[in-house]
Amino acid sequence: MKPLTINFRSKAAQTIGDEQVQNSLEHVYTGFYQGRINAAADTPNWEELRTKGKAIKDHTIAHLDHYLDMFSEKVEQSGGTVFFADNAEEARQYITELAKDRDIETVIKSKSMVSEEMSLAENMNDSGFETIETDLGEYIIQLAGETPYHLIAPAVHKSRKDVAELLDKDFEDGDRVPDATELTMLAREQLRDVFARADMSVTGVNFAVAESGSITLVTNEGNGRMSTSVPRIHVAVMGMEKIVPSIQDLSTMLRILIRSATGQRISTYVTMVNGPKTPDEEEGPDEFHVVIMNNGRLKLLKDPLLRESLNCIRCGACLNACPVYRKVGGHAYGWVYPGPIGAIVTPVITGLKDATNLPAASSLCGACHEACPVKINIPRMLLELRHKTAEGLSDPDERTSKFVERAIWKTWRIGMMGRGRFDWGARLAYLFMRPFSINGWIRKAPPPISGWTVSRDFPLIAGRSLKSRLNHRHKKEI
Amino acid sequence: MADKVSFIKQVTKALGRTKITRPKDNYDTAIFEDRNLARANAAQAVADANSMAANLIDQMVQSADDAGWKVHRADNYEESAELIVGICKDHNAKSVLRSAHSVLTDIPIDRALAASGTVLEVTEHSSQSSNRHIEKSKAAAFNADVGITGVDYAIAETGTVVLHPRAGVSRLVSLAPPTHIAVLRPGDVLASLDELFAIQRDDFLNGKLQGSMNLISGPSKTADIEGTTVTGIHGPLEVHLIVIENNKY
Repeated sequence: MKPLTINFRSKAAQTIGDEQVQNSLEHVYTGFYQGRINAAADTPNWEELRTKGKAIKDHTIAHLDHYLDMFSEKVEQSGGTVFFADNAEEARQYITELAKDRDIETVIKSKSMVSEEMSLAENMNDSGFETIETDLGEYIIQLAGETPYHLIAPAVHKSRKDVAELLDKDFEDGDRVPDATELTMLAREQLRDVFARADMSVTGVNFAVAESGSITLVTNEGNGRMSTSVPRIHVAVMGMEKIVPSIQDLSTMLRILIRSATGQRISTYVTMVNGPKTPDEEEGPDEFHVVIMNNGRLKLLKDPLLRESLNCIRCGACLNACPVYRKVGGHAYGWVYPGPIGAIVTPVITGLKDATNLPAASSLCGACHEACPVKINIPRMLLELRHKTAEGLSDPDERTSKFVERAIWKTWRIGMMGRGRFDWGARLAYLFMRPFSINGWIRKAPPPISGWTVSRDFPLIAGRSLKSRLNHRHKKEI
Repeated sequence: MADKVSFIKQVTKALGRTKITRPKDNYDTAIFEDRNLARANAAQAVADANSMAANLIDQMVQSADDAGWKVHRADNYEESAELIVGICKDHNAKSVLRSAHSVLTDIPIDRALAASGTVLEVTEHSSQSSNRHIEKSKAAAFNADVGITGVDYAIAETGTVVLHPRAGVSRLVSLAPPTHIAVLRPGDVLASLDELFAIQRDDFLNGKLQGSMNLISGPSKTADIEGTTVTGIHGPLEVHLIVIENNKY
């Protein structure tokens, strides 16, 4: 998928001005956010589970080479095939070639963010394979020709009327808008036929188990199960960070993933695939392929300060908790991963230069850190990325801070290093700012600091420091 | 194109090392538990399922209900047969598929359904493997009205039915028909996901891990349109859990 991170501001402004989308975004809060809070309260050892989840992921990522080696070996031992892809292009090519080679006609896709990195469905359709998204939200998005809006609720921004227009060719403006059940049943009918004739499936992976070469899929709709039951070939695509060491880690990870994602105790279906179908089975894939993708993740792994972002299990809890995401929506972030975690992953994978607005679009309130099931310290990394962009640490050409800005901050630092300097500096700033202020507030600052007041007011610095005022009062009282 | 060795070499390098190092054994993750401990955990899980069966069934009934199963409690086999026949009649089911789980032959469900008058065909689904059968078996599953299975395990924590697809327990029998009926007996219910995965791990260490596993917790559902939960998208619209409380006729 081509990154459009550079459009963050305009996309965000567009969404904020769209009343219907603003209403739809409320579902993120009332449904998912509240759901997670209730589920956490309902789970007696919730904090313990989060701590354990973090320990499992920290450990796995610290030994990722070892576990990737083990996982791929085990998949092959149980009759599967593993393909390592350095980038999205390679992964896409492998899957397309496989489909060509096996005379595939119809491909069913389950929801997978990694496949969005490859724009897989679009590309396979262009290559002549009927490729259909089967998660209802993804199906709607595919019909609309858009990209997912949310990690687990791709079509959260669409109204019932939008959906009716997409699903029903005969729907016209002014017709009664069908309710959610009617629309869902319509999609069920359309997709049943597709399932029955599919000969290849592409799914994501929620967790890959190193010791046994297993993958697990979590769905509510049952498309993940269809994908592992009907077609003769199953391709599972995963980012290289998706591993847990042991089968027993699954109980912890599934609990925290599902409860954080939707607030359910468990999703309707959890499927564990330990290889192709067994010799005594009739149904099920004859071939099982796992595609393990890097696509820029090495950059996150290499940097000890950003490595923690690879602990992410893609539950979407940070999106639901984020006051910024809930206003600017998913498309503003301009690539596959939106929200707070996207503001870290997207700029590093697609390039900081165009994406400087992503880590900046946060009040650093910490709600994402609090919500994260594996306790990823997202605000810390957002600050880290701001630092990197301002100073051009990863690429001097990408340094975004201007000479004047650096000069101001340098002066600030000098001013803060002693009481006398501070008082003198504050006084000077007060005198300088006063002409621009109205009733103690500056609404429009002059250049070079005009950027500060584009979307907020700046308070006028007090004419006298607290200390001097207190001293004065003290004297009067005596 | 990246081959495995060079791909993993890059990962090692990114971690600041020169070769793959095995992790130390002092972490909290289960992979470092030895075989004996895994065996003990699994044995304990199975023992608890039996010794606390009545208690676990009560918990299961509660959480299955929460998850959206229509739960029916039956005192014995005969009562369970009546319940199943009743559900099939309610749906005017002509074609019923069932798995080869022993509970279904113990009931015995085929005879009860044949006597019902509505059901024309009861088939033990997908019990033999040959390429010739695959298309037929798929079509049968997509056209059936009801699918009936036993359970391989149930999980009280989450209201989950666990099925391992294998000969006689096809993947589609619990998925493709619009109604699924699962039948459980005392001793089938594990306390939580921990017990299930402890058993899976022990099976794995003994080379007995099954080809795949499905955890089923209620009817297929979605909330992808305006956040409204709708039951029945790709899987069954309705799922029934028959709980047989006593192993007797």
